Formats: sequence, C-alpha cells, structure tokens
Amino acid sequence: MVVFVVAVLASPQRNGELIFLSLSNLGNVVRAVSEIGIIAIGMTFVILIGGIDLSVGAVLGLSAVGTAILMVDNGWGVLPTVLVVLLIGAAFGALQGVATAVIGIQAFIVTLAGLQVARGLARIWSGGVGVPIAYGDGPQQAPPSFEILRGSINGVLPVPAVIFLVIGAIAVVVLRTTAFARHVYAIGGNEKAARLAGVPVTRVKIAVFTIAGLLTAVAGIIHAGQLSQGSPNDGIGYELNAIAAVVIGGTSLAGGVGTMSGTLAGALLLGILTNILGLNNIDANIQLLITGLVIVAAAGLQKLRRTVT
Amino acid sequence: MPDSAGALVSMRGITKRFGGVLACDDAELSVRAGEVRALLGENGAGKSTLMNVLAGVITDHEGGITVAGRPCRFRGPADAQAAGIAMIHQELDLVPGLSVAENIFLGREPRTRLRTVDTRKMAAAARAQLAELGVDLDPSRAVGSLRVGEQQLVEIAKALLSNALSTAARVLVMDEPTAALADAEVRLLFATITRLRERGVAIIYISHRMEEIEEIADRATVMRNGRVAGTVDPRTATRREVIELMVGRAEDEQFGHAATTDHGQVLLEVRDLAVHAGRPRPGRTDPAGIDLTVGAGEIVGLAGLMGAGRTELLETLYGAAPVGRLTGSVRLEGRPYAPSGPRAALARGVGFVPEDRRGSGLQLDHSVGHNIALTALRSLCTAGVVRARRERRSVREQIEALAIRAASATVAVGTLSGGNQQKVVFARQLLARPRLLLLDEPTRGIDIGAKAELYRLLQRLAGEGIGILFASSELPELLGVCDRIVVLRGGRVVADLPRHRADQATVLAAAMGSAQGAGA
Repeated sequence: MVVFVVAVLASPQRNGELIFLSLSNLGNVVRAVSEIGIIAIGMTFVILIGGIDLSVGAVLGLSAVGTAILMVDNGWGVLPTVLVVLLIGAAFGALQGVATAVIGIQAFIVTLAGLQVARGLARIWSGGVGVPIAYGDGPQQAPPSFEILRGSINGVLPVPAVIFLVIGAIAVVVLRTTAFARHVYAIGGNEKAARLAGVPVTRVKIAVFTIAGLLTAVAGIIHAGQLSQGSPNDGIGYELNAIAAVVIGGTSLAGGVGTMSGTLAGALLLGILTNILGLNNIDANIQLLITGLVIVAAAGLQKLRRTVT
Repeated sequence: MPDSAGALVSMRGITKRFGGVLACDDAELSVRAGEVRALLGENGAGKSTLMNVLAGVITDHEGGITVAGRPCRFRGPADAQAAGIAMIHQELDLVPGLSVAENIFLGREPRTRLRTVDTRKMAAAARAQLAELGVDLDPSRAVGSLRVGEQQLVEIAKALLSNALSTAARVLVMDEPTAALADAEVRLLFATITRLRERGVAIIYISHRMEEIEEIADRATVMRNGRVAGTVDPRTATRREVIELMVGRAEDEQFGHAATTDHGQVLLEVRDLAVHAGRPRPGRTDPAGIDLTVGAGEIVGLAGLMGAGRTELLETLYGAAPVGRLTGSVRLEGRPYAPSGPRAALARGVGFVPEDRRGSGLQLDHSVGHNIALTALRSLCTAGVVRARRERRSVREQIEALAIRAASATVAVGTLSGGNQQKVVFARQLLARPRLLLLDEPTRGIDIGAKAELYRLLQRLAGEGIGILFASSELPELLGVCDRIVVLRGGRVVADLPRHRADQATVLAAAMGSAQGAGA
C-alpha cells in the first residue's frame, strides 16, 4: 500500500499548504468512502466464498427510503427505525443466500434479480420520489438525534467515518481469527472439499449473504442521514464501486483468497483518488476515466506481485 | 545411455530450474522406434519436467534434443508435434459436451467447400483411427458419457491424428495413463500400446505401477532428484532393485505386516443396503443390495471394476451421495446409522478420503495448516475463535505423525507432491478422531515410497482400533494390506473373501463375473 502514500504526497498543494493533509480533509475522505467501504466489507465475505452481490446498491436505496419514511411519515423513533431497516437488509440478504445456497441458483443471477426487486420495492414504498428528512419534534419531522450522522467527533472525525472504521476493525479481526472465517475461505477455495470436510456450507453461505445485506442497510441509514433524505434512486452503481474496492484490495473474484485489510485499503484508495482529483478540479468525466485505469492498474499490480512471490 | 545410434529420440544434458529448485539436472534419455520405455521415479523426481521439455511445453531449458538424428529446438508444443512427438497428459484435455469425432478433430476440423465442418468425413476418419487402435467406439457419442478408460483411448486417437497431416506420430508420451483405469480397461489400453509398438511408434510410459511396467515395458528408466538414476530391464530386475534406484535407499517391504488379531467388535454392519434414485443416473452405480461388516481394527478391501459401485457405496455411507431413497439397514457401533450429510457422518466418527484429492479433497491455494485443521476446527476453538497455539500444536503433531514433507505449515498445499497432499487429506480426517475411515483410491497417483508409508499408516490406525473400508483398483495393494476383501459388481457384493482365500485370480474372476470365484 506504498502506492497510496505516494499518491497522497504527490498531488495536492494549494494555498501554500497541503489541503489534502488537513485533518478536516482527511476526515472527509474517510466519510466519503464510509458507505462504499461498509458495503465492501460485506462484499468481501461474499466474494471470498466465490459469490458476488449485485443487489447492494438497490438495497442501499431501499434502506435509505425506509429510514426516511419510517421516521418522517410514520413518526418512529431512531432506534426502532434503525432496527427495522437493519432487519429488512439482513432479511433481504438472507433470502438471496437461501436462493443461492439451498436452491443452487448462481449468486450473479440471484442478486441481479435482487437488484431489480429491491429497487422496485424502494420505488413502490416511496411513490417514486425522494423523501426529505427535516429535523424537529413536530409531525413529518425526524428526531433531531438522527442528525448525529451529519456531525463529527471533536469536529474532526465524522460519525460515518467512525462507524466505518469500527466495523472495519471488527471485520478484520473476525476474518483473521474465527472458525466462521475459515469456513468462508474453505468454501471459496473448494466448495466440494469443504462440504466433504464437514463445513456447514449452506449455513455459512446464507450467513455471508445476510451479513452483506445487513451492512448494506447500515450504509443506507448513513446515506439517509448524510443527505437528509431517502430517495429510491440512491445507490445506483454502488455495487460496482464496492466490488472495485474489494478487487483493488487483492481479493480474488474466484474466491478463497483475500483479506479484509486489503478491502479497507482499497476503499480508502478509491476515496483518496476521488478526493485528490476533486481538489485539483479535474473534470468529472475525466475523473471517471482515471478511476477506471487505476482499478485496472491496481489489479494488475496484485497479479504481478502474486506471480513473483 | 551409450545407444544413441539408432535412437529415434535422444535428449542430452537437459537441465531446468524452477526458481531455486533444480527439476532436471543433466538428465538424458534415448528411445528407439518400436520401444516401450517406462519412466519412473518418486513424485518430484523430474519425470514430468523432462517430458514437458520433450513435448515443447517447457522451452527455456539447457541441453539438446535430437529426433531421428536431427537436432531440434522446440519453441512450443506445435513444434514438437510437427516433429512427431505427442503427449497425453494425466488430466485429459477433452471437451465433455462434444462428440468423440469432434474431440479428435478439435481445432483442425475437415472442411467442405463452403467452409463448414465436413461432419461425414470427420466421423469416417475418426472411426478409422479408432478401429486402427482396436477400439470399438461410436464417434458420435458425447465424450462426457464415456468411461474414463474410453476417454483415454479417445485422447490417444487424438494425439496420433494430430500428426497425421504432417508426419506420422513417432513418439507418444503417456503420463500415468492407467491412474484412473480399472483392470479391464488397462487390458484394452495395453492392447493398443502393443499395436502402436508394432507400427514402430516409440512410447514413453510414466507410471507408478510396477506390475504394469513389468508387463508392458521393454526397458525402464528410473529418475531421482532430476537425474537418471539408471535404466533396467523390467523383466529381469527385481522390484527391490527398482525401488532402491528410485528412493536411493533399500525399502525392506512395500506392505506392512498384517495384524492378524481377531476383530471381535463389529463396528459397521450393512444389511441389504440399496439406494433407489427417482430417475436413472448415467455413469453411477448405486448400491443395489450390499451386505458387509467392518470390525474395529479391521481393514476391509473394496474391490471391483470401474463402475462396480465402490465410490457410490462409500459416498452413501458418508452421506455425500446425491439424494435417493435408502432401503436396508446400516448400523454403526450397534446403533442405526443414516447420515444426512458429511457433518452427520463426522459427528458419528466416520471419516472419508475422497477419490479425487485435488477436486474434492483439498483447498489447494490454502496452507497445509489450514487444510489439516478444517474438519476438527470446532475442537480448536473457544467461542468461535480459533486458538492459534492449540491449532499450531495439533497441526504440528499431525505433520510429524504422518511425516508430511512440507517446508512449513504455512506453505500452500498445492505446492506439495501428490503423496504429501494425500497425507494432508488423511491428517485432516485423523485430527477429527474417526472410528471408521472410508478410503476411496487413497494411493492413486502417488509414488511408491509414499504408498508404502500410507500402507504402514493404515496398519497403525487399525492397530489403534479404527475400522477401515479401503476401495482400490490395484489388487496387489488390497491383497497386501487388507484382512478381508469384499468384491462388488453392479452395486452388489459378489464375494467376501478372507485374506487367506483371496488371490488376484479369485478376486478378478468375481469382479468380472466369471462362473467360478464367487466365494460368498
């Protein structure tokens, strides 16, 4: 990950000092990648078992819509809203897990269908329009405590960034130390051999898709909080960014090989790149182009390093 | 070898390094036309590397190759093929969904004037080629529906025809062609090899099976540590001499001493077991009336030809077979036993070593340690977290107990030799402390030294009271290791022979369904 340190130091200088390295900007970088990062954590588990989850962008939209509607239209408190939205995300993931693990449909197809279903549900629930979140104690207003997602700790670390880093740290430990993680790797490495070795393949697969759905719902709630609205069109294309972060992090799309710390670094790399290009006022279309090239370059470097060692 | 005069192919001073490993070290080999040359050696001795050099797969080597007196430098497999050298790899390169004829002509299909594939011409040529090999196969059948032995013959036809356009195939390299074949299919292959030899084709035959080498090979070259250790006449050389050349040490006995203790306690009791699948399953022979027992500390051999239903029986006993309705009764340690899946089987103390260790036995990219720990992982955990120290200790114990040769427990299993990979599969099972072990072809494709080690391991496990059901296509090893041999045919038990009544002829007769020999 020397690569990104170089990138950090090379590009940004403005107003005599490095804007990029200012604390508020660094906080912003992490905040900006927090949603994609949290989704990428779940995606890492899915890709490690040799699967893929294309539904995450749509599920994020559904979660954001759900958050806004439950609080604004239904007048729910923060806690019940969050719990129910998390439950919806987890249940959606679990259903996709059942379809892949029990029925045996390929994850690509299941989650492609899931993408359509989640997007459809979000549009039906919201009537096709974004639901703005206003804060206050009156009707049609969300509890002010929900505004915490727009705040930061000590004015430096934005709350979404903290949530991302905490979940990331937990995920790193889980993937390094638990029997569950070993089972995830074993399934991705050789599913048939894993089954014969007594790994509860079906259960682990369902759990993995459930985790992905759950974490996507977390990202959806953060999304609604950060933008103060829930729109059924939120999160379009997020699945691709999340997959990119995982791949840049060195996880093999074939499954069985990869690390969580790699994914976190991958997400941060994407965030830093966007940030630097933004600070330098690079045209958005060119940004897209450069991002694409960086993804290929990063994946190429990974491949090269693996064949050399 | 001083006989390079008259040699069809001659390789000299072949040296090839992979990283720091010297795979071939000044190796040389000369083969005459019409000769069957066996090439043997322990896994990692350099046989495959040498043959890959000959077939043009490896091009950056030192040393030279001469074909029919002309020095050659191959830049790729196509060059080698043009020079008349064809190689059949252990893993067959056939497309299961295509027909026999389409596979034989893959990539060089005959065309009509409209540039479409001339299927009639292709079928006729394929049929002619197969007939020349003495094989009776319909060229329009899908390769996936053939038995492995038949697929092997298709591969040979393909290899021979690949040179028909330029030169006739003059050298055919076969890498363990019989590894997946039952005895009857081996006969068919040998008949084909004999025909090719008469046509003047030189055949280099890599194998681990001494019986076959003695039968088919004119000379046998033994490799050790990348060098040629010696060339012998397999008809006059003793096995002991050959094994000494291979391992560089005297191997006292191949099989362990059979523990002839009596096996009082019945561990597994199978009565009239049959599996009724809803619809026919092509290529599978489900149990159709199995009676057998395995005692504690007893090694029971499971013999039978390809398609006799050995694998299917073991899978059924492990709960790993595709769903089907079971009838009959199975009791394990006196209690009814009908595992819903591998986990249930493992919970009752039943372990399984599958036939295909790369495809269904191991996570090849993962470390030796993680592979060994996988099945018994729960016992190494506290609250779902793997206790690293406990795991390391257990893994190390298994590595030492089975003498697994790996640089460390953290190297990928895929980098080990076949024999050591198989030991890792065993270690994984043994760490879970099984009382009954189901083994499906556990010695396939591993070298003779590793085989001997596995036989000793089985004896040791039996001595500890573990019951073993051991399926194998190699009769000598069953006869050498087992207390009793159960012979299957068509999913039924056709003979159940105690060791002193079992010999190769009796077992084979029962397996093939000859009138006499069914002793049960």
